[in-house]
Amino acid sequence: MTAEQYLAARLRRALAEDPRTTELGVRVTVRGDNVLLSGDVACAERRDELEAVIHEVAPELTVLDDVRVVPAGEPGGREELR
Amino acid sequence: MIRVGAVGDVHLGEDSRGLLRPALEKVGEHADVLLLAGDLTRHGTVTEGRVVADEFSGLPVPVVAVLGNHDHHSDQPDEITRVLRDAGVVVLEGETATFDVNGQSLGVAGVKGFGGGFAGKCGSAFGEPEMKAFIQHTMGIAESLESALGSLDTDVKIALTHYAPVPDTLRGEPPEIYPFLGSYLLGEAIDATGTDLAVHGHAHFGAEQGMTPGGVRVRNVAQPIIRSAYTVYCVEPAVAEV
Repeated sequence: MTAEQYLAARLRRALAEDPRTTELGVRVTVRGDNVLLSGDVACAERRDELEAVIHEVAPELTVLDDVRVVPAGEPGGREELR
Repeated sequence: MIRVGAVGDVHLGEDSRGLLRPALEKVGEHADVLLLAGDLTRHGTVTEGRVVADEFSGLPVPVVAVLGNHDHHSDQPDEITRVLRDAGVVVLEGETATFDVNGQSLGVAGVKGFGGGFAGKCGSAFGEPEMKAFIQHTMGIAESLESALGSLDTDVKIALTHYAPVPDTLRGEPPEIYPFLGSYLLGEAIDATGTDLAVHGHAHFGAEQGMTPGGVRVRNVAQPIIRSAYTVYCVEPAVAEV
């Protein structure tokens, strides 16, 4: 368990600090041989970059990727502040 | 009624050039002004700043921005600011912008903001130089925000920041990192100045809605929260007390 926490911290910092990703908004959860990524990125290419960086730091882990591409459409409604 | 469009944390780069543009082309149908709550780029490079400038230039409504921590990563915030301003985007850091919207006046005061934490659970300007510098950076920015908001004499006043002024809109983020996500000093500045709405970004896992201790509405418009190119808030001027 302790090792998983340190590994998760290393992976999270790698995603934040590696210039290919610089993602601070992605959660990293390590469970056994799996690492779960979750959160949102701006485009599909960035999802692939996340997996690449994780694989370099921890090639032994299987990446489960729940990261979504954030929608960029027009707003569906509006909020009236009263 | 003033329709305020807002989005933060668009994190544009060459790989996402043009993604927001289709929705932005129609922004005039939804909003009277568009606020950008920082983290416009990924790495804070001038090249990415040009992508942001292209994305938000030539829109049918005024665009007002503050920078975020990502926009500082390459130590070129002044250059990015210049690129954006050259493209017609109003960039605020301790300044204000005012607009006339259908006969009502709108004032926006903007700062990046910074961390430090929230009342009772915050850092102090004490101890090592690094710690003092951290908190003093926030103190200086909060003073600048209060001064800018205080200088506005408009029907509607909005505070635009990247970092959060309240913890409400951080729900969903780990509480341990709240001190890196915002500061109560920003909220205190907002409450001291008769502000109508506070808009921020930065907290991708937070919540959209919150309120300052003084009762000012706070909205977290980080794009992963609002899940569209921008969202819209309709703000009525407060009824003046006689």
